Amino acid sequence: MKLLPVVIICWVVVFCSARLPGNNTTIRFKHLVGSKVLKLFDETYINSFGEPFVISKFRYYVSHISLTDNTGKQTDFPDNYYLVNEEDSLSKEIHLPIASTLREISFMIGVDSIKNISGVQTGSLDPANGMFWTWNSGYVFAKLEGQSDVSPAPAHSFSWDVGGFRQPANALRKIKLTVNKNGATEENTIIITADVLKWFNGKTPLSITKTPACHQPGTLAVQIADNYSTMFSVAP
Amino acid sequence: MKILTIICIVLFTATGIASIEAANKPRPLQLIIPPGWPKPLYNFKYNPLTKEGFELGRKLFYDERLSKDSSISCASCHQQFGAFATYDHNFSHGYNNTLTTRNAPSLQNLAWQKEFMWDGGINHLDLQPLAPLTASNEMGETLQNVIGKLNKDTAYKRLFKNAFGTAVINTKRMSMALSQFVLMLVSSNSKYDKVMRGELAFAAAEKQGYEIFKQKCSSCHKEPLFSDFSYRNNGLLLDTTLNDYGRMKITLDKRDSLKFKVPSLRNIALTFPYGHDGRFFSLQSIYEHYRNKMVVAANTDSLLLKKIPISNTETGLLTAFLRTLTDTSFLKNPQFAPPGYTITPAFIHYQ
Repeated sequence: MKLLPVVIICWVVVFCSARLPGNNTTIRFKHLVGSKVLKLFDETYINSFGEPFVISKFRYYVSHISLTDNTGKQTDFPDNYYLVNEEDSLSKEIHLPIASTLREISFMIGVDSIKNISGVQTGSLDPANGMFWTWNSGYVFAKLEGQSDVSPAPAHSFSWDVGGFRQPANALRKIKLTVNKNGATEENTIIITADVLKWFNGKTPLSITKTPACHQPGTLAVQIADNYSTMFSVAP
Repeated sequence: MKILTIICIVLFTATGIASIEAANKPRPLQLIIPPGWPKPLYNFKYNPLTKEGFELGRKLFYDERLSKDSSISCASCHQQFGAFATYDHNFSHGYNNTLTTRNAPSLQNLAWQKEFMWDGGINHLDLQPLAPLTASNEMGETLQNVIGKLNKDTAYKRLFKNAFGTAVINTKRMSMALSQFVLMLVSSNSKYDKVMRGELAFAAAEKQGYEIFKQKCSSCHKEPLFSDFSYRNNGLLLDTTLNDYGRMKITLDKRDSLKFKVPSLRNIALTFPYGHDGRFFSLQSIYEHYRNKMVVAANTDSLLLKKIPISNTETGLLTAFLRTLTDTSFLKNPQFAPPGYTITPAFIHYQ
């Protein structure tokens, strides 16, 4: 009987400590189009080609997150796959059980080859999330879809669905970001911005007029992936 | 005393629940590997076959509600009497008067295959159903809607619980159940098989046909599965309405242009028309292709550079042999018919 209070105390301690602020690191993704905050459907943006466009979908997979703290200690999260989806504000926050101040963060945009060849997955990787190519098994790593008056595609749509896990069309990209001292706020929240305009402008400038659609692995998907791999930065 | 009573009650409840759980545990089902066959390639440890899983898979396979307008089930295009291909159709009928662009393959001996579709684009059996479910010219539905429909059906909730322990219904479980059903579709009891097992003897023409087959066909249509499941360019001309380059679309390698998977010849008498686009309506047209009409070009398979010389007499003998690959016990197995039927009923024949 003497054991009971001890058990209860332990339980309370464990339960509360998991919820205490400061024991978690939050990564919050903020989506921008140039200097403006991304708004689906409502706003018309202009890319570097001068092409006007409206965005209806913006999604990408974040996986293999690795955090390095200011002592150089690295913590990996190889089994966590997150689908960041502009439509779902909760999906834009990732909570990880790391308390220390961070120096560096790295992650993959996309889904590693093992998960692409191991049958049907659940949770964020469930093919029902609409980020999977069924006719050529594999995940769509990132998706930017919308409309543009200059698009020659039906209904003036443009849709860039990027994926591909096999060489030479591997579109998986690793992102490495330095967290400056001010990067993390007191609640250990790191804000990472993602600028949609970078999709059009990077190693290979890509216009909606010339390439309104990407729906399979290949050269175009790799070019878009190279471009968007530069879209992230840690907000000051 | 009080404590003792409580302990007793707890124990009784615990054992009671345990025995109910034991009774509800899915019953294992064995895939019998025919003698002389290679080891199956499907990972059964990851998805163990059970009677409950198989029955759930069968119900899903025959359920038209999985399509957008409840008109098409998997079985609409994979008909048991046609060895689970679409009988007498080059293309199958999809949602809203659409047509597919490839000939529906026969579903048999799937545990021995590691890639699916004519171009091998699907790399896991569990992923296969997702393609026809969502294709706009097949069942035309979204996976979210499919799972939504299943979740609204209490019968399915019960069946998923019986098969997987809890009533959770998701894409993975649906696919695993469908895999369990189709994995059991083993055809290994044709006259050919009986001859190989020493139970029957070939007729003279069948025996001569078998010898010709071994000389001229079996390096690609390898026994006992009657395919080596490789991708080959067998000299087909591109159909310019379909522009189907086959394997190249998946590998993005020009050398794979117009390569398609070697199909199994089991139950070939029922799986006509033949070829990835069903362009061959008879065995005779196939022989004509290989001995005469095929186009030898840069990418043509090295085994076919001189085409295949087949005399008129040989075509007849080959046909006699190929008819021994018909497996009636497979085509009429009541276990593979829709739930509650002993044979695939007429309404499934309709499409």
